[in-house]
Amino acid sequence: MLLELFQWLAKDYRVFSVFQYITLRTVLAALTALAISFIIGPWMIRKLTSLKIGQEVRDDGPQTHLVKAGTPTMGGALILAAVAVTTLLWGNLENRYVWACLVTTIGFGAIGWVDDYRKVVYKNPKGLSARAKMFWQTVIATLALSYLAYRTNLPQQTDLIVPFFKTVAIPLGTFGFIVLGWFVVVGFSNAVNLTDGLDGLAIMPTVMVSAALAIFAYVAGNKVFATYLGVPHIPGAGELAIFCGAIAGAGLAFLWFNAYPAEVFMGDVGALALGGALGLIAVVCRQEVVLIIMGGVFVVETLSVMIQVASFKLTGKRVFRMAPLHHHYELKGWKENQVVVRFWIITMMLVLFGLSTLKLR
Amino acid sequence: MRKQRAHDGVNRATLTGEAVLSAQRGGDQNRPVRFWIITMMLVLFGLSTLKLR
Repeated sequence: MLLELFQWLAKDYRVFSVFQYITLRTVLAALTALAISFIIGPWMIRKLTSLKIGQEVRDDGPQTHLVKAGTPTMGGALILAAVAVTTLLWGNLENRYVWACLVTTIGFGAIGWVDDYRKVVYKNPKGLSARAKMFWQTVIATLALSYLAYRTNLPQQTDLIVPFFKTVAIPLGTFGFIVLGWFVVVGFSNAVNLTDGLDGLAIMPTVMVSAALAIFAYVAGNKVFATYLGVPHIPGAGELAIFCGAIAGAGLAFLWFNAYPAEVFMGDVGALALGGALGLIAVVCRQEVVLIIMGGVFVVETLSVMIQVASFKLTGKRVFRMAPLHHHYELKGWKENQVVVRFWIITMMLVLFGLSTLKLR
Repeated sequence: MRKQRAHDGVNRATLTGEAVLSAQRGGDQNRPVRFWIITMMLVLFGLSTLKLR
């Protein structure tokens, strides 16, 4: 919205032409999302508390978590509101990638909202069934991916890019693109949800990965940089940097309230939406493999659950003291803060490694 | 209101109500993270000066 306004003003006042730059709008989007979240945050926490939207704590989890019972949840709605408003303010609203990512994020957030609402308001511990959740995630992801696949006319927009190899790109075709995209979008959505078990554990890696994806989106959208670095040029993908900036800004502000001891939890409404958003941005930029590297914490947390379940069903023995992995380390004696900050450090290293793939190819 | 001793980090003061809850949950341990967030905001603001000149 503001872009159109500034473009119109720039005809008479050249100073406004500075806002056409994606880099500046990305930074301003992050700061705007931060400001919106800081302003709305305290009000929303008070509202959630007064409505008694409190987290139910599972009694089969670590006993130290029982004290978290009653902490307001569904704070992810704050992140989504800040991201949506900021993207509409600073993004180019004629860009189809921006709309695809925004609508998918809100769609995934809606699934999480229904799940959270049933859990905390109707006191239905199961919330939305896993099957129903997966069904709606599949519907939204498939619609978004089909839209992207059928609107592209360049083969490199659907090829699977292998990091570290400049000349290796696996052609997927439309069907392969949708199937791989589904795995990434739905997989990451659930992975972030599984990781969201300790104060600040999910949001900070989301902020870091989103900031890194902003760089990938910017590079993919810029023909000169894309050609120089040997990554696929996706015209229009650069606008996603603004969306990523908004996620990073809103996420940082949310961390203010979510840092240990958390005043609010994001709930499924935030976790499912943010995971889905990261997945779809990576799919648009053709950086699925790099996302798996950078979001390694999310991937390993998910794998720990899968290994634990498979091992228990097949052998009757547990591999970890408790799954997901963060509970395993808590039961080993690490303090909650230690687990969280150490997982952040690992993510930071993985993000740096992921960024190095831009040049190391 | 029921009085309760807070655990480490709050100087064993006698607290009531929400303060007790906060102390039980870790008191002011989120202060370092909040300082990191402020630093990150300042870094973002600093980066914007690259273009805003």
